[in-house]
Amino acid sequence: MGLIRFDNFSFKYYGTEKLALNKVSLTIDRGEYVVITGPSGCGKTTLCRAINALIPQFHRGYIGGHVYVNGMDTREHGVSDFASLVGMVFQNPENQLVTLNVEKELAFGPENLGVEPVEIRRRIEEIIDLLDLKSLREKHPHEMSGGEQQRVAMAAALSLKPEILVADEPTSNLDPQSAEKILEIIAYLNKEKGMTVVLVEHRLDLVAKDATRVILMDKGQIVVDGPPREVLVKDICHEIGVGVPKAVEVYRELIERGIRLPGVPLTGQELATLVQEVAE
Amino acid sequence: MIHRLDPRSKLVMSIMFATVSIMFLSIIPLLIILASLIPIIIAAKSFRRWLRSMRGLSVLIVFILIINTLISTTENPFSHSLALALRLICIMTSFSVFFLTVHPDELSQAMIQMGIRFEFAFAMSMAMRYVPTLGYEAYAIMDAQRARGVELDKGNLLKRIRNIVPIIVPLIIVSIRRALSIAESMESRGFGATDDRTYLEELVFRKQDWALTILSIGILLIMIYAHLFLAMPQWMLWDLPF
Repeated sequence: MGLIRFDNFSFKYYGTEKLALNKVSLTIDRGEYVVITGPSGCGKTTLCRAINALIPQFHRGYIGGHVYVNGMDTREHGVSDFASLVGMVFQNPENQLVTLNVEKELAFGPENLGVEPVEIRRRIEEIIDLLDLKSLREKHPHEMSGGEQQRVAMAAALSLKPEILVADEPTSNLDPQSAEKILEIIAYLNKEKGMTVVLVEHRLDLVAKDATRVILMDKGQIVVDGPPREVLVKDICHEIGVGVPKAVEVYRELIERGIRLPGVPLTGQELATLVQEVAE
Repeated sequence: MIHRLDPRSKLVMSIMFATVSIMFLSIIPLLIILASLIPIIIAAKSFRRWLRSMRGLSVLIVFILIINTLISTTENPFSHSLALALRLICIMTSFSVFFLTVHPDELSQAMIQMGIRFEFAFAMSMAMRYVPTLGYEAYAIMDAQRARGVELDKGNLLKRIRNIVPIIVPLIIVSIRRALSIAESMESRGFGATDDRTYLEELVFRKQDWALTILSIGILLIMIYAHLFLAMPQWMLWDLPF
């Protein structure tokens, strides 16, 4: 039984006509790095919200089916019950920073749950080290760049010591360099700390190499689900309009011209190695 | 030094100064109060910011001076209105000492420790947090409206007031959306999860805070006594002869 389990889950927001999620069934196990992608309005955000019970507890609407996270039904537990289990990072960093400096921000979550101040202090130091936030420690949100803000927002989610990190397009407001840094940290958390990651992301060329699984969504349903090397070569990616990594594009192009590489490359580096192998 | 005092003791001091200012309405005692407030402001290294806030107040002071001089029925109307203006300055300065030296975080923490619910104190500190954000947003909306040909800086007063509408309406809508997204983020981090919320840094009332509090209350009591039972010496009642 998986850590996160969607059991025939459907959801429709109040005041809308279409189902945001349409009978989604999905199991995510511990330690997986799942990238969710698809055109806007396909239900990615709704899926994220359903993981920590924001749906159905915060956003009301019509529900069908169940979502279980670590065995808890999101219909029966409040959002705060999931706070130390699921860390959420959202699109807009500014709306996630609610206090006047970084230390306070990191303390906000644990304070809410009544964690002892000594333990909060310990966590703050640990996370400041981990995410390299030393220079920002005393800063007001307004004195930080978007990338720094998003790093702090992620740190604030991590200070609750969650097992699962859910990030809903955390890089969409950031410049490429900051985006890469955020994605590096997420990959590190997954690989080194064994954290389960659910990431919504369009820039697949940046994340495909780290992901263990890619889920393609369209119109509230899961269209394709599998390891990145299998999913990204499918024709449906082009039909829906997913930003397939350049290396995969080259791989497909080569097949059309009659050259089949021994594996699917996800990065330029892998592509170069594969081409070299074939050439030899 | 003054910045490190507990906000609660500073609040007692400010209230003391403001109360004493209200008790007197003659030029000399008010000048004495002001003369004892200004060194505190200077010691707190906030003199320049205080001057700036006083400059903001100057319009109101001139207004008080003119109107009161014209309509006052006292013997020396100008002297009377000068005292009124001075009193306003004293009260403003009393609270400036508090607001110029207390960080918003400390203020909300002090409110919580004085028994105000966390939610309310936090709402106040969040308001401070989002003032600059809303400011930027307002500018962005103004730029967007100008780009569509709304002439914000033209026309008479009435037209200009009407021009606020295309700015305020989008600003409210954007703010409501933002509030929802902030709420989502706070909710995900367990806001309001338990009544036994802990605080990373609790304020401690130290010796110097007790000293300041006792001193302030002492002065206040002496002043109330003097005000009620002692006649003021003649030189203190001095006023301008017009």
